This record gives sequence, C-alpha cells and structure tokens, in this order.
Amino acid sequence: MSESYDVIVIGAGLNGLVTAAYLAKAGRRVLVLESRPIIGGLAATEEPFPGFKFNTGAHDSGMFSQQIFQDLGLSGQELTFYESPAAVHSPQPDGASITLWRDIEKSQAAIEKRSPRDASRFPEYLAQMERVRRLVYQVIERSPPIFSDVTFSQLWPWASVGWQLRRSGKKEMMETLRVLPLPVRDFLDEWFEDEALKGLLAVPALTGGMPGPYAAGTTFMLHYQHLGKVGGGYRTGRFLAGGIGQLSEALAQVAREAGAEIRTAAVVDHILLDGDRARGVALVEGEAIASQVVASSLDPRTSFFRLIGGANLMPHFMREVRNIRYQGTTARVNLALSDLPSFVGVSDANQLSGYIVYAPSLEYLERAADAVKYGRISERPVLEAIIPSLLDPSLAPERQHAMSITVQYAPYELEQGDWQEERERLGDQVVSLLSEIAPDLPQLILNRQVITPADYEHNFGLTEGHIFHGQMHLDQLFFMRPITGWANYGTPFENFFLCGSGTHPGGGLTGMPGYLASREILKA
Amino acid sequence: MANKYDVIVIGGGHNGLVTAAYLARAGKRVLVLEQRYLVGGATVTEEIYPGFNYTVMSYVVSLLRPEIIRDLKLAQHGLVILPLESTLTPLLDGRYLYRDGDHFRSMDSIAQFSARDAEAYDEYGRTMYFMAKAVKYILGIIPPDPARLQPRDLTGLLSLARHTLGLSDRDLHMLAKLMTMSAADFVERWFEAEPLKATLSASGIIGTYMGPRSPGTAYVLLHHYMGEIDGQFRAWGFAKGGTGGIANAIARSALSLGVEIRTEARVAEVIVKKGRAAGVALEDGEEILADVVASSLDPKRTFLQLVDPVLLPDELLQAAERFNIRGSSAKVNLALDALPELACKPGNGRHMAGAISISPSLDYMEEAYDDAKYGDFSRRPYIDIIFPSMIDPGMAPPGKHVMSCFVQYAPYQLREGTWEEKREALGDAVVDTLAEYFPNIKDLMLHRQVVTPLDIEEMTGLTQGNIFQGELTLSQLFFLRPAPGYAQYRTPIRGYYVCGSASHPGGGITGAPGRLAALEILRDGI
Repeated sequence: MSESYDVIVIGAGLNGLVTAAYLAKAGRRVLVLESRPIIGGLAATEEPFPGFKFNTGAHDSGMFSQQIFQDLGLSGQELTFYESPAAVHSPQPDGASITLWRDIEKSQAAIEKRSPRDASRFPEYLAQMERVRRLVYQVIERSPPIFSDVTFSQLWPWASVGWQLRRSGKKEMMETLRVLPLPVRDFLDEWFEDEALKGLLAVPALTGGMPGPYAAGTTFMLHYQHLGKVGGGYRTGRFLAGGIGQLSEALAQVAREAGAEIRTAAVVDHILLDGDRARGVALVEGEAIASQVVASSLDPRTSFFRLIGGANLMPHFMREVRNIRYQGTTARVNLALSDLPSFVGVSDANQLSGYIVYAPSLEYLERAADAVKYGRISERPVLEAIIPSLLDPSLAPERQHAMSITVQYAPYELEQGDWQEERERLGDQVVSLLSEIAPDLPQLILNRQVITPADYEHNFGLTEGHIFHGQMHLDQLFFMRPITGWANYGTPFENFFLCGSGTHPGGGLTGMPGYLASREILKA
Repeated sequence: MANKYDVIVIGGGHNGLVTAAYLARAGKRVLVLEQRYLVGGATVTEEIYPGFNYTVMSYVVSLLRPEIIRDLKLAQHGLVILPLESTLTPLLDGRYLYRDGDHFRSMDSIAQFSARDAEAYDEYGRTMYFMAKAVKYILGIIPPDPARLQPRDLTGLLSLARHTLGLSDRDLHMLAKLMTMSAADFVERWFEAEPLKATLSASGIIGTYMGPRSPGTAYVLLHHYMGEIDGQFRAWGFAKGGTGGIANAIARSALSLGVEIRTEARVAEVIVKKGRAAGVALEDGEEILADVVASSLDPKRTFLQLVDPVLLPDELLQAAERFNIRGSSAKVNLALDALPELACKPGNGRHMAGAISISPSLDYMEEAYDDAKYGDFSRRPYIDIIFPSMIDPGMAPPGKHVMSCFVQYAPYQLREGTWEEKREALGDAVVDTLAEYFPNIKDLMLHRQVVTPLDIEEMTGLTQGNIFQGELTLSQLFFLRPAPGYAQYRTPIRGYYVCGSASHPGGGITGAPGRLAALEILRDGI
C-alpha cells in the first residue's frame, strides 16, 4: 500500500473540490481522485471541436455560495464574472417574442405589450421571490437535523432559522409554507395571466426534474434556482469569463495551494473496508491508497452499490438507497456555429445575451413532460439555449459562436430503442425545433455534439444521467436527502462520508453539499 | 321576528349536522338550514328511478370518526354499517386481482402476478397500519398556529411533537415521505405488479385533480387509510340505506337533541352587526337571528358570497380566491335488470358484494389523468364500482340491482363545450369501458344517471363539484386549511365559524371538521 492520507475525496466535481479545499485549508492531507481526464464534473468547460468551448454541464455561477467564495479566498484567483444584460429571451410560435432584462423597467415595458396587468405586478413578484429566497437560503446553509435523535446541539443552529421565520412576520412565514409545495403552474397563475410569460418563468423550476409544471413541489425548485440572486427573474445570469470550468480550476488551485493533491484519470474501483470502517480506496488498476477518511462526491447509488458494495449493506439501508429516484431527463446539444443565428423578434443582439428558451406556455411544458412518464422523448421538448460566446469571445473563433442547448424531456430509460440509436435523432429534432424560431440556424451549424442521459451516466458517472444526483422532489430533500436518517453526510460506515449533490441541499452549483460535508468531517 | 337561536348552521351536509348535534348536546338552541329538499349534502340516497335507490354521490364509508358514532348515539338512530370486504381488479386478458380480509387468500392472488409482491404485501400492510395510526391522531386535534405562539398553540405544538417523536425512526421517516411523494412512487417502493400498484394508488387520486404520479398523492392515499369502523382499521363499509343512511342517522340524533332542521331554506347572506354575526337572511327575504353562525360551505361561498367582502381582511379574501377546489370526479349510477356478469370471474360470488376497481395499470390511470388535465374527460376512466344492492338488498327491487360507479377524471372546467352537452358522452365513455369488463351490461340497463362535477355543484353547492371541498394538497392541509392563519374554525367576524370539509382535517365522511368546529364554538363560550 502506498502512502497514507488524512482524507481521500472521490470525484473532482465542484462539491468534491470544495470539500477538499476546506479540509486542506484545515490542515488535512488530502488526495482527490477524479476518473475523467479533466476536473470539474458538471462544472467543466470542454473543447469538443477546435476553437469552440462549451460548458458540458452547468452554465450559471450565480448560485455559488458567497460564503465559500470568501472562506476559500477565491477572490485571490483570477476569476472574471460578468452578468448578461438580458435575463431571457423567449420567441413564440406566432412570431412574437418576449425578453426579460436585468433592468426591471425594460422587462416591464416588454411585458406591458402583452399584459399591462402582468407588467404592473412584475416588480412585486420579484420582491416576493427575493423574500422567499432569503428564507430558503437559511435552510440550505445548514446541515439538516436528524429527527430520530434530536439533540440540543443539532437543533441549535435551527433556532435562528425559526427566529428569522418569525421575525419575517406571520404572513410571510405562512406564505412561504403555502407556496413552496405548490405546483409552479398554480403559483404563476396567482401572479400572471400571459401564458408566454408564465411559460418562460416556469422553465428553471423544471430543471433536471421529471414532473411538469402541474406537479406539486415545482415551486420549491423555482425558488431554489434563484438562490444566488433573483436578478431579472430568470436564473441569476451570472457567468464566468472562459466558462464555468474556471470556477473548478480556481477551487483546485486553492486546494493545491493548501497542500491537496489532485489526480485525474484515477478511477476508484472500491472502498477498502475494515469491517464497517473505511480505510482507503482501491483503484481500478489495482493500486490501494490508505486514508483516515474517505469522502465520496459521487451519487448515493454509485457510492454505496459500486464503491462500498451491495453485499456490505444492511437490507433496510440498501432498500432505501435503491429507492432513491434518479431518472435523468436532461440532454444537451452543443452547436458550433459559423455566425450568430437570427432569432425571431430580435432587434438587438443583447436580447440573446442571457438564456433563450422555447417554452411558449405552461401547457406546452406539461405536454413535454407527459412523454417521460411513458419512457418517450418529448415530441416538442422544452429548450433552454445559451450563446455565451456573444459576451465572451474567448469561447469561439472570431465571429463564430458556441451555442449550448439544454433539452427536456429526454428520459434515461427509453421505452423503445436505445440512446445509441436515438442520440442523433434527438439532435435533429432539436435543430428542427430551433429552426422554427431561428430559421437560418441549420445552415450555420459547423459541428454538433449531443450529450444524452446515457452519456451523462457513462462519461460523467452520474447514475441514470441525473444531473442533480437524484431527483429534487420534496420527498428527496432536506432531511430526506439522500435518505432519511442519514442526511448529515455520515454513513453507516465509520469514516466514510458523502459530499456530493446527492446530499442536502442538492444539485446545482451552490458548493453547499461540499461545504457542509467538510464541516461534518472536521467534527468527526 | 320571534325566533332567535343560539346557533344557525348553514348547510345540512354531514358535517353541518354533526356540528349542530354537538352544539345541541351542549344545550344550545340550534337551527340547520339546508337548501335542498333533503339533508345530507353529498351524503344522500335518492330514489331517482322508481324502486332503485341511488347513492347519488358518496357511496362508501370508512372515515366516520368513532367518537362521533358514540357521542351522537348513531347506532340507536339507525346507523348500520355493513362490511365491504373485498376489492377485485379485473383485467382484459381474463386475469384478475382479488384482495379481501383473508390475508393469505389475497397473497395467493397477488402471487399470480408477482411472488415478490405477495411477500411484500404483509410489510406494506403493516407499514400503512402504523402510518395511519400515527396520522389518525392529527384527525382529532385542532391545528396549532405555528406563527402565533399563544400558550395554547404552544402546548398543541408540543403535544404534536411529542406524539410525533413517539414514533419509531422508520415510522417518522416514512411519514415524511408519505406527505410529499406521489402515490405511484410510494407503492413502487414495495410492488411491481401493475394491477396491484394501480389499485393501491387509486386511493391517492380520489377527489383530486392529480394523477398517481403527481407528488402529493401519497398523502391522499394515507388519508383514505385512516378510516376505522368500530375501531377496526382500514375497513371500508357500506351504510344500510346508502350514505344517505348516515346523514339520516345524524339528523335523527340531532333532532332528538332538539335541533331544528329546515330544508329548502336557501341562505342569501349572513347578517353582521357591529362586526359580529347576528343571523342570516334567506333568499326569500326572511331574516333569522342567532348569536353564532357556522357555515359548512366551502371558503368560496363562506367568505366570498355569504358576507360582505369589506368585513374581511384582504389576505383572507385572496386566500379564498386562490383556494384550490378543482372538481375532477363524476358519478354514474345504473339501475340494472339483473346482476351483470364479470368476464374474468363470472357468477354471483361474494366478490360482487365488494368493490370492483377498473385500474389495470399505472399507465392506464396516468393516461386518464393526462386527458383530464388539459380539460377533457378521460376517454378510458378509472372507475370504482360497487353494487349497493348486493350489500343491502333494500336498495333495489328483488332480483334487480343498482350499480354505483365513481369516475375519474371528469374535470369541471372543460376545454371545449359544456357539461350540459357532454354529460351523456361521459356516460357513454363509462358504460363502454364497463362493457369491456361486463360484456352483458348494456342489455341489463334500465336507467342511467350521470352526475357530472357541474351537477354536483348545482345539487350540493360544492364549488366546482370538488368532493373534498378543496383539494388535499400540502398547501391546503392542517394549519393552512382553509386559509393560512384561519385553521381554527374561527373567522375574522366574531360569531362566524366554518365547520365543513374545507377546514381541517378535510374531506371524506369523517364528521371530524364538524365536531372540532363545535368544540371550538363551545370553547368560545357563546
């Protein structure tokens, strides 16, 4: 057995790197093992075609915790953030379109044309989102209590949340409790009347999910996607020059400076156990590495079934882990374009600087989601595109563009056929749908990359290709994430911890699972 | 105006009657005003076709609180609940799933579909038993107000916490899951056989405008498991004389306690004087005075129609407007010349005295919902069938039968057309579906009654025909029901109370809202 570490972190995605950086800064000897040749996981920027760089997973950096940013001294790294002037542009099937901006008055003017009533309510909507966001943030920045053994020290951090809730006023508290479990359709219906506006606002609420906007709990997800900042009302629109991969590189740099080692192309085969106690890992090529603690940022199913091994799990625990629902529904199409496509309703290229969605109504979104229940790809999927090269020319050759399209719903498990056959068909379908709102787009395509849920599983190690390491329904959140009774990052195996998106508060580039896990590891 | 009452109860549905009876039992002078010619609301039996008694809307009972049966001496007033022992799920391939009180027989039937499921059935039953036991407690308490820490609320919260923490870890975890997940996901934790999964999760969609895969339906499933008859958990029964037999027994009990009941008395508005309820005005202009008025109607009517909106705070008006009360259920009642023949299990066996559930697979149920969520009735609906005349022969002439079909989904708001135009088309869709399973049913039909959500609304005054007076979703349960901050049966108008299914703990023939409201009214010392 080779040299020994204090902590081995499996996976160099954003959460693995955050965990490693905190532990290294606390003086632990840390080794990070990443199976891919590059670090970052779903926070990576890759170059599948020469000169064109794409974020293969997340785009937005606005959810990343400011506290972590400060704690780790990331401001000392060379990171350039920029915010897009447009929040979102939503072309409609009838040739109309609606653009929301960071500048609320500009958004109001755009909404006004469709519904004066909606325009007048929009600022209050944003203010309300901001109030709920602050309350939700309180919840995500703490380890969930384990209700079965409630101790004072466990509940103490929550006293301030209770206090905050109370101080926010009875009305606010009741309103928060009422709206979070609502279907996002009901929530938006309470505010607005224009179908186009409601359709585009609902898109973030469906990220990574299986249910459509008529399903309970999607309002929680809407607020979760605005955790960093409510901004213009559509995600945070805060990006990194050079792509999201820069954030991972900066985290890795911080970790290395604090003494951590990071090894890529190092595939962990299993965790070495001494009874119920982790004592290191074995790599696929046979090398065994010893450590005091092992922290896995992989999803719970991979962590327990592949790394620990089903034979080592107690039946009840095994069943709970097996019952975590994944079912990835998200695919990605990356296009290398010879020029900027002409989208309908665009008079100012800035309209395309944020997200571009095809989501003309709530009913459109719901119908798209229907397919996935029966293992089919949506005939007309929900598209959320982004052309970051517009504001960041480093991502594509001069005058050319890199466009990345998130496609929902594309179920991991297909009722008929397999993804090997369906991959390019999905690509064609997306391009054809896009050509309805950007007629010249097909002629501009130089190259195309399609990442299916099966690819996310195979290439990124995500169970069933689920980008959040497990669906973020209400029943898989908070003290039920990853499973009830084990929500505080520990496991039934001594010295073995989870630190990925499969733990509280879940997926998205918050860094919080990694941060909270590192605190629990330091306590242990 | 000679008459003055202590309490006027608006609405003679089962909850209104329970409130009235409890108040009279405490010595109050109580008047119940019912708009129809008979009491019961959605709990009625009517002879729509000569000689055939239809359970027009609700048709089975399980959730009626035992303390109400006891306190109001309902057995002495004619309440007899006959057991409804089995559920049969027929399939078109000739197979069927049969479950009844004989656990081993049920497991044998399940094993024909999946040996693994048969093994898991025991544990599922045990889990649900403990879950229901745990949550049943909640049916019996006044929801505490988490935002207003009055000493009483605090003790309420504490006792709730103590009760909750008294559960084992696993129970507690399962409970949290049940509150938030979908019925399909929940049953899929145990089972793989489609007819079993679909039939179990059907309990999670009854009365909702959600599909078995919609998060939140697992709670509705549990809600239906909370019933008990004579202290026996999970038993469903059929009241002698139909569900109208329940309303009549409560009415008789109320009358014996001195309650006055006036039918065909439609309340136009609640009279409020100096910020206090002072009585009601009927549509014909008559005014009746009382110190307290309790409305068993839904919040849309209680807050938006019966009182002048200027008397209520904006937040309550807004909550009432937002209150989710989508109607999604219909009823088809048939008079039959003889008992129809079930293709997969012919004969007049005891299975025909149980429930028959048209729920062959989860996809079937979900597709039924997919039709409905865009505003059409399900082309192939979920149907829950009983033959009341097989359980209580008095329901139909000798040798003949009545058939009660509960149907989902039939959305109140149709995308195209009106229910006036679509009523018989819905009836045809239901009968066509039935005919796939009962091939001779069309030949036996003497009469058909189709009760659409619009009909339910017009008959009973349930807005949109929602049978639970508002969906049982997390946003509308417990301290959020009927409106955040108004879960304790009081309203901002002194002397004006709510006592219907729109208040905690919600719909079903429980009587619990009626009883809890009466207790709160008495606590205020009117």
